[in-house]
Amino acid sequence: MSVRLAGVAIFMIAALYTWYGRDYTASFGDVLGPSVFPMIVGIPAMILSASLVVFPTGQVAWPDRSHMLRQVAALAILLGYAFLLLPLGFPLATFGLIAGMGIVLGGSPVKAIILGALFAPALWALFDQVLGLPLAVLGRWFS
Amino acid sequence: METFSLLAHGFAVALTPLNIALLLLGCFAGTLIGALPGLGPVNGVAILIPLTFAFGFDATSSLILLSSVYFGCMYGGRISSILLNIPGDEPAVMTTLDGYPMAQQGRAADALAISGVASFFGATVAVIGLTLFAPMLARMAIYFGPADYFALYILAFITIGGIAGVDPRKTLISALLGLMIATMGLDPISGIPRYTFDNYHLYDGIDAIVALVGLFAISEILMLLEKAAKDRAKPIGIDSWIPDFRTIWTTKWAILRGSVVGFVAGVLPGAGASLGSVMSYSMEKQASDKDDTFGKGDPRGVAAPEAGNNAASGGALIPMLSLGVPGSGTTAVMLAMLISLNVQPGPLLFERQPDLVWGLVASLYLGNVALLILNLPMIGIFSRLMMVPTWALMPIVAAVSFVGVFSISNSTFDLELMIIFGVLGYLLRKLDVSLVPLVLGLLLGGDMERNLRRAMSISDGDWGVLIASPISVTLYVLTVLFLGLSIWLTMRDHKRMQSRTMEG
Repeated sequence: MSVRLAGVAIFMIAALYTWYGRDYTASFGDVLGPSVFPMIVGIPAMILSASLVVFPTGQVAWPDRSHMLRQVAALAILLGYAFLLLPLGFPLATFGLIAGMGIVLGGSPVKAIILGALFAPALWALFDQVLGLPLAVLGRWFS
Repeated sequence: METFSLLAHGFAVALTPLNIALLLLGCFAGTLIGALPGLGPVNGVAILIPLTFAFGFDATSSLILLSSVYFGCMYGGRISSILLNIPGDEPAVMTTLDGYPMAQQGRAADALAISGVASFFGATVAVIGLTLFAPMLARMAIYFGPADYFALYILAFITIGGIAGVDPRKTLISALLGLMIATMGLDPISGIPRYTFDNYHLYDGIDAIVALVGLFAISEILMLLEKAAKDRAKPIGIDSWIPDFRTIWTTKWAILRGSVVGFVAGVLPGAGASLGSVMSYSMEKQASDKDDTFGKGDPRGVAAPEAGNNAASGGALIPMLSLGVPGSGTTAVMLAMLISLNVQPGPLLFERQPDLVWGLVASLYLGNVALLILNLPMIGIFSRLMMVPTWALMPIVAAVSFVGVFSISNSTFDLELMIIFGVLGYLLRKLDVSLVPLVLGLLLGGDMERNLRRAMSISDGDWGVLIASPISVTLYVLTVLFLGLSIWLTMRDHKRMQSRTMEG
């Protein structure tokens, strides 16, 4: 079932891709133009994904609810990091990332917090001070 | 003779203090990355690429660092295979078959030493092959026109999925998805934006490295979260690290056969190290499993796949350097780095940047020696470091990946994109869709389209140009043969599966 659904999703993407690709018009002196290659890619993708809907292969074992919750939590932490990196600054955001991921991955909360507290400033020192990548200590919200 | 003087020059490049330091660092880090379950060579190299940018090394030094990490991973993968029965990376799966039983019988020191020596020979055979064959292939590739390159890319996409195993349609879909992503951004020839959804972040297209780190590192974290959170099994304890040298000597033919088979598997575009180790193991089993000892701790069953996977990983560098078409997932990631550093692999690389090519080859010779020295006496250190628990390791891997990706453009948009690719990679892996073709499509899509359009410009719109040269016709014939073979094998597996379930 999962393979069929994936086939449908890929088919829709490929169809949209092909549909949009039609309209890219050729400029002067460019024989093939910018829309032929998307056709060459999009149409076989439509055919193959359609065949996957009709003749699916393989079984997918999805994780159970508790594991899926942990995956969602991990994604929330990762996305949170992407949104909060600039407002919070590197050390604080990274502390949250390491401690949060440590807990989600099954470490004990105390140990995960200690890990974050050690590594967040250490990584900041390594990248900002030693390697010269500018990483703000305190973000937008503090200045 | 010319090759020797070029190689000598390469040693001069490789023996600068910076490059030696990077080589040793890479070998050490690589062995560790390979030994840690969950961090394979692709992940390791993908995470390290943004870091090499951060260090600001030139292309030669970056490539030396990443290649030694790559080779180190191949050595390291065996450590957890033998001591934990958990392969450190995919090619090390075969090593668990005889390596773990040997460790259970108290012969862990022998197994580790055999695999170290086999790795050394396999990798050395591959580097010698690289020295001899890569320049030859590059000289041939000079005659490739745009239409021939187009045919070569098609061959690469068909073969990258490997011969046996997964549904070839899934492999092709993966490649096509990569090609779709590659067309995003400003069209290089006409300059019009394609599939940018009016988002100015997408005008440059999607940075391959952002996509790669997401596809491999982030999806790996999601895969890990599926498993139970309990701690890993305890490794088998070892009293002595001193191996029995006579046992090593008895595996010499297995090592030799494994090296040759693995090298051939590695040179084929797309086959890579996993196929190399599988092929060497099964060949060795057929050749010398007379007393039915394989799978129960036969030293030859450790030697052959280890020689095979190391030979294959070296062999995979040949098509990557001389044709610009990588032979495995990890070499695809290395190709991404070279492109980001404005180095275009391919036949001209050997003429224009001999420092880079021969410096790399020389450092691979040196790296092998360093890895052998590093791996025999220091094995105890690695086996202790290997026990870092997942909950502590993966958050730091995530943090380093984020910094690396953030450093490419200093925008958090790339971080979001990386997470999206992580989810995509996870879903595809769950569906048994290999990510390597996608990466290859993403990397080669631009060039594939440019070559097609150039060929069509030359012929003024006549599609016949695509099959006008003997080179392209040969490549298409190979493509069809390969496709036929893989479809036939899939059908056969399918039938076998069905008859097996009927019996059961």
